[in-house]
Amino acid sequence: MNTPAKNPKNWLREHSELGVGVLLFLLGVLVLTDALTLDTDVTGRGPVGPATVPLVVGCGLLVVAVLLTVDVLRGGRGEAEAGEDVDLTEPADWRTVLLLAGVFLAFAVLIGPLGFPVAGALLFWGAAYALGSRHLHRDPLIAAALSLFTYGVFDKLLGVPLPGGPLMGVI
Amino acid sequence: MDSLYSLIDGFGTALTPMNLLWAAVGVLLGTAIGVLPGIGPAMAVALLLPVTYGLEPTGAFIMFAGIYYGAMFGGSTTSILLNTPGESAAVVAAIEGNPMAKTGRGAQALAAAAIGHFAGGMIGTILLVVLAPTVAALAVDIGAPDYFALMVLAFIAVTSVLGSSRIRGLASLLIGLTIGLVGLDQMTGQQRLTFGSLQLADGVDVVIVAVGLFAIGEALWVAAHLRRTTGEAIPVGRPWLGRDDVRRTWKSWLRGPLIGFPFGAIPAGGAEIPTFLSYVTEKRLSKHKEQFGKGAIEGVAGPESAASASAAGTLVSMLTLGLPTTAVAAVMLAAFQQYGIQPGPLLFEREPDLVWGLIASLFVGMVLLLALNLPLAPVWAKLLRIPRPYLYAGILFFAAVGAYAVGGEALDLVILLVIGLIGLGMRRYGLPVLPAVIGVILGPAAEQQLRRALQISDGSLTGLVNTPFSVAVYTVVLILLAWPLLRKVITRRRDVTV
Amino acid sequence: MRLRTPLALLGSALLVLVGPPLLTTGSGSDTGTQIPGLRFMVPNTPGGGYDITARTAAKNAEEAGLTGDIEVFNLPGAGGTVGLTRLVGERGNGRLAMSMGLGVVGAVHTNKTPRTLADTTPIARLTEEQDIVVVGKDSPYKTIQELLAAWKKDPGKLPVGGGSSPGGPDHLAPMLMAQAAGIAPKDVNYVPFDGGGELLASILGNKVGFGVSGVGEYLDQIKAGELRLLAVTGPKRVPGLDAPTLREAGLDTEFTNWRGIVAPPGLSDAEREKLVDLVTELHGSPQWRESLKTHGWNDAFLPGEEFGDFLTEQDERVGTVLKELGL
Repeated sequence: MNTPAKNPKNWLREHSELGVGVLLFLLGVLVLTDALTLDTDVTGRGPVGPATVPLVVGCGLLVVAVLLTVDVLRGGRGEAEAGEDVDLTEPADWRTVLLLAGVFLAFAVLIGPLGFPVAGALLFWGAAYALGSRHLHRDPLIAAALSLFTYGVFDKLLGVPLPGGPLMGVI
Repeated sequence: MDSLYSLIDGFGTALTPMNLLWAAVGVLLGTAIGVLPGIGPAMAVALLLPVTYGLEPTGAFIMFAGIYYGAMFGGSTTSILLNTPGESAAVVAAIEGNPMAKTGRGAQALAAAAIGHFAGGMIGTILLVVLAPTVAALAVDIGAPDYFALMVLAFIAVTSVLGSSRIRGLASLLIGLTIGLVGLDQMTGQQRLTFGSLQLADGVDVVIVAVGLFAIGEALWVAAHLRRTTGEAIPVGRPWLGRDDVRRTWKSWLRGPLIGFPFGAIPAGGAEIPTFLSYVTEKRLSKHKEQFGKGAIEGVAGPESAASASAAGTLVSMLTLGLPTTAVAAVMLAAFQQYGIQPGPLLFEREPDLVWGLIASLFVGMVLLLALNLPLAPVWAKLLRIPRPYLYAGILFFAAVGAYAVGGEALDLVILLVIGLIGLGMRRYGLPVLPAVIGVILGPAAEQQLRRALQISDGSLTGLVNTPFSVAVYTVVLILLAWPLLRKVITRRRDVTV
Repeated sequence: MRLRTPLALLGSALLVLVGPPLLTTGSGSDTGTQIPGLRFMVPNTPGGGYDITARTAAKNAEEAGLTGDIEVFNLPGAGGTVGLTRLVGERGNGRLAMSMGLGVVGAVHTNKTPRTLADTTPIARLTEEQDIVVVGKDSPYKTIQELLAAWKKDPGKLPVGGGSSPGGPDHLAPMLMAQAAGIAPKDVNYVPFDGGGELLASILGNKVGFGVSGVGEYLDQIKAGELRLLAVTGPKRVPGLDAPTLREAGLDTEFTNWRGIVAPPGLSDAEREKLVDLVTELHGSPQWRESLKTHGWNDAFLPGEEFGDFLTEQDERVGTVLKELGL
């Protein structure tokens, strides 16, 4: 921390929290624009209409964004959350995060066409793979069994409908 | 005293072998289904409605009561073990319960929750027997200005969970408030921050936000920094509550119902706000403040007890006024109507056997629930011994099932992922997650009550302070705000006199 | 040993693909009124009005042996328009139906959704229910005339409580009353509550000037004397209730809430016939008669095309009222 970071790239890296301030600021602008485009004269009564609370929240976001930026420039830092399974000494492994997010997104896309059991199994297997499990003969079977079991409990026992897959009605 | 005799008669009804069986079946089914993600008590009761069609009314309602309490308990099990709350009342249990589970104290967290449910349910039900008519009459007098005053009090309480950096805590709270804004404006029906999407019109569910921020956010954060060196499983630890645990929690178990019961009985109370208020109270009063956020057992015991007592409070309004204060009560009301019974002012006179049998079976159900869940706590806790990749893959899997099962909308999954990514960012930059969840709960409720109060008074600001109750609450708020100042004055006086 | 991985992959693929269809037990024959795999969608939350209608109808149809299991599921959101959008999206699906009612008609207008009820296949109207005008027992208003006089004098000071969001039945009823009483719609101080519970508390505690709700909801409170019933909104008095209709009270308007069933668009004639037949048979069954009685619903059966015409007419009426309100 004490090394004077003259290099602008390093400076940005150390102050990446400024991005949070920028995001909060943008969010505030978004909330304010949305509030100001509301149609305010609909049967409203009294001083508090549909736009009042969004205006307060939007302004609050802008103020906090500025305060946070000032805090970061003065050297304040948010402490990254620690935990049992978290090793903060290692640099962050963003590849795994991207992989997990991708697997999750794929689940959202595939559940319609492929059905819950297939998409669910892919989600579990994909997530376990991304997190470092490499039992190629065990993982898919566990994933498939878990997914099928969940499908059975929800769809058959409880009557909460989940899509069954392309072979429904064919067999 | 009349109610005491009726209650004894009620036990006569509840303790017949058949009714005892229905109570046991209800508790078991309720717990099993409550554990499933995305299925809260309201869904559980609705889903099991058909199961009871063949029963006579008394048996059916005894079973319902079991399902209700069982499902509430099941919801907190996943909250504690997997950081994945199954319903909104169990959100708070995740905050302290999950860190406990991660450090090998899962069994203790579950036991504290189980006993909390037992204590809360017992005290709540006793209050139900003793106070039902009085509470019901008072509940009706609580109006929008009073609710708003309570919300102001709750917002003051939020400041104590903002964490070490006030700015970052406030940022988190504002993110939550923003998420709470999404949806149709309740008073005028205008769309806010929905970007024209109908799926967003009802807003983002608190459970989705909590699961996204807690479960998905944490899974992604762990993925980024997974400790790859130690392959050790999470230790299971001792299975029972130690003497030290009991010493720390017994007051919390008893305090919870005092907050939970009245909130359950009033029409817009519900269980989220009392669990949160109980959490804040426990944090304030605890001698182990430094443990909060890292697994303080009081933070599990108090809120769980409050949640259970609020369920009993809900029954007060439903049985005496026919007034459903939560979704579960609405479903049970519908079930009553299936049998041609209308809960309301005349119910105690018309169906004394059924009502007192039901109340007695609440006591029975609570005992069964405790007897079932205490021995199971260490068994559940072993769930955490499965290897890390499977554990986190399973959390992602069940979070996804829960989000999808509610409405069958793939968009809910995308929303869940987006909120999860926000949760990841918040963890990276030290923004505490709890204020955001509280913002989502409190924001819309506070806005609605504020505007409703102003609408009833036709826009006049005096409409906010025109009841004794609201004035009393604001006085408490003022005292709380002025306390640091007052204390200085008092200590200075003392110094002078000494 | 190399074979184990491909074998495991093959095995799991088989499991997830073939498993679900095999879990589905015998799908039943497609004869008579039987529609195997029929599902009812409920566009609001468990315990709500459409939910009870759908679950009761499904249960009665099963008991009467008209069809096998009917799966009931909830897809709540935006006053029922989320469910409506899904239904319209399930074009040509003859095994899906949705319970709905007047509230959905209003929600389509207030939310300005691109999908409307004109896009659906009307199956039948099932029940109808009048709304009631009630005050707490301590309210100063003893008759509907007294209430109307006070309301006309200063509409803003007399907030109206209702259990639905703007555009819903409890909102439309007081708006029609105001219209007939010569009160400008914008002057009506309508306060929406979530469902019946909070509303009941506000009426009992005299927080609102008066409340508007379905007749079935507060029967017990009226009988116990906690609530005072001032008027019913339908064309005729309700048997057993001592209250005039709005017309008798001098307001030239009437309002009745109703519930029915619609199906996705693009059904073949045979599929449509089948659903209409099923509901017609259900309507004739003793089980349904019994349910009507226990729930206090009024039979208002109107099948097929006629229901379609009725929907169009209701849509226009609701549209006119809401336009005047600027919603």
